[in-house]
Amino acid sequence: MSTDEVESTFFRRTSRWKLIVLLLVLALIITVIVSLNVGYAQIPFPDILGILGKQIPFLDRFIDSSLISSQNEAIVLEVRLPRIIAGVLIGAALAAAGVLYQGVFKNPMADSYVLGVSAGAAVGASVSILSGIGFVFFELRLVQVAAFIGALSAMFLVYNLSRVGSRVPVTTLLLCGIAVNFFLFAVVGLLEIIAANRLHDIVFWLMGGYSNVYWKDIWAILPFIIIGIVTAYFYARDLNLLAMGEETAHHLGVNVERSKQILLVLASLITAAAVSVCGLIGFVGLMIPHLTRLVIGPDHRILLPTSTIIGAIFLVLCDDLARVLSTPFVSVSTREWPVGIITMLFGAPFFIFLLKKKKQSYAA
Amino acid sequence: MNKTYVIIAAVVSITLIVSAAFVYIYYQGQISDEGVAALQNLVDDHGYTTSLTAYPDKIVSVAPSCTEILFAIGAGDKVVAVTDYDDYPYDFAAWISAGNMTSVGDFTSPNLEVITSLGPDLIFASGGVQAESVDTLRERGYKVLVLDPTSVDGILKNIELVGNATGKRAEATALVNDLTSRINAVAETVANATKPKVYYETYYEITSSWTIGAKAWQTELIEKAGGTNVFGDQQMDYYQYQVEALIARNPDVIVLPAGGMGTGEQASLDAVKARPGWDTMNAVKNDRIYQINHNIIERAGPRVVDAIEQLAEFFHPELF
Repeated sequence: MSTDEVESTFFRRTSRWKLIVLLLVLALIITVIVSLNVGYAQIPFPDILGILGKQIPFLDRFIDSSLISSQNEAIVLEVRLPRIIAGVLIGAALAAAGVLYQGVFKNPMADSYVLGVSAGAAVGASVSILSGIGFVFFELRLVQVAAFIGALSAMFLVYNLSRVGSRVPVTTLLLCGIAVNFFLFAVVGLLEIIAANRLHDIVFWLMGGYSNVYWKDIWAILPFIIIGIVTAYFYARDLNLLAMGEETAHHLGVNVERSKQILLVLASLITAAAVSVCGLIGFVGLMIPHLTRLVIGPDHRILLPTSTIIGAIFLVLCDDLARVLSTPFVSVSTREWPVGIITMLFGAPFFIFLLKKKKQSYAA
Repeated sequence: MNKTYVIIAAVVSITLIVSAAFVYIYYQGQISDEGVAALQNLVDDHGYTTSLTAYPDKIVSVAPSCTEILFAIGAGDKVVAVTDYDDYPYDFAAWISAGNMTSVGDFTSPNLEVITSLGPDLIFASGGVQAESVDTLRERGYKVLVLDPTSVDGILKNIELVGNATGKRAEATALVNDLTSRINAVAETVANATKPKVYYETYYEITSSWTIGAKAWQTELIEKAGGTNVFGDQQMDYYQYQVEALIARNPDVIVLPAGGMGTGEQASLDAVKARPGWDTMNAVKNDRIYQINHNIIERAGPRVVDAIEQLAEFFHPELF
């Protein structure tokens, strides 16, 4: 293949990638707008647009706000919108972290549970719930801060435990992570027994969800997630080379240990930020990267951004279902389903369907 | 001679007193026909039938609600063990550490070895999380009565059931009559008042928010106190609700069970007011957020009537 050919293939591919990302961003925006209509309260779409328009300078003078009830405005701006934005952020974070974990470990089962990050968050949250202190740290609840600290501490613990000399072999890391993970979940179980009168609190937290999220929570996690994902993107090439084996990657000029370290810290930081708000939400981190890989292919330079956006769309749609899917045949139920259950209930069969369909082309 | 008469008189009278005492004690232990009938076929809230041959001498209570009923009808002196969460009508934790009461430990999984070592004649349990423990105890031949009522009437019936089982039938009936008249008094007072829409919170965190529907008996407490549960049309007991549904339904009063579930946020009324979108609710606008001791409103014991009275004062302060 001549240089010209290689270059033209590359440019054709990058322009195709740009198109894919553009379309996905468009799909995300449509999902967000459609999701604003979903919920118990029946708010007409023009009212929703009016409520949004009122927030935009210059546009607000054209909107007759007398027609919009303060209740509906509160529902759209203070309940639905923060929730949808949080869904975008958390879905993006979990999916992106999943890509990084799977890439670094070269293991299709790797996710935030593997490094003990989720378990660490659970221990942190349980301890703070047990303490019963309504302590607030920079406008954030103690349970969030504790979950964040727990997640990062667990990651550093696992990483240092599996260090062999100056290297951190992937197998040791995986096994160490699994052991610490079991240990930490045993600690959560112990805390549940000690705190039987606060058992519900811990159980509800572990069930996951972010239905009562607010802007301050979003501002608190936004920098971690955005900076984390953007930084990770610059290591997408390293991830591609790591996929060929650490030896090969090393010979191709990758500082293997440093790249692994940075990618794991980034993935854990992103995950910690997300779980500090939403508790433990399964499936997204594990399955969205696989799902995207089935459709888009294994190149991390496109896999990371597309997984991120698809993760965001997926979680927002699941959360829409959590609001709509009340008791069947009763359309006016005020019930809400835990979003973590929906991600698994609907995500898993869909994933298996894709897996079956693409069986031949998927060689992990 | 005189001395002999004195001795004989003394012996006879002592014998008479002792035998009278024996007879008294014997009849005390004997059960009237009515009492015997009451000990047969005790049907508990899960439809399980238990029959006893004698009044229980050793009772184990594995739920605070059962303990409260037992002590309220004067059967407390037969209670030999309670859970670590029992705190009414006495400070049982202090009793346990002083050695005057045995702990069966956790409410969710009472310690089987402790119960076995005590060899109780009768065990009182509640439903829900205790169902498994109840099965375990029954498999081992223990007599267990499950008190798991679904209404205020159910709680009153349970008080009579406990009375029948422990031989405190008169006390139980007196208590039920007293409670009934107090409930009726509240009903009369609030009869013509407009009923506020009440939101009862069981849990609120970023992750989820929970309340009660029609099937939780706390809804009945709200109704008896002259209010309506804002989610009373939902045919559920405890469930996860959508906050926007609450905002749309606009409750007039918010009731927070203090000291119960929730991670501290419920302790602060200001935190409730500051929740996103909640400032549009009448309850927040008019500052009608109240806290109630969670134990009186969540335990299916005699104190639910205290809860009704307190709720009525929250809902209709002008009438009290």
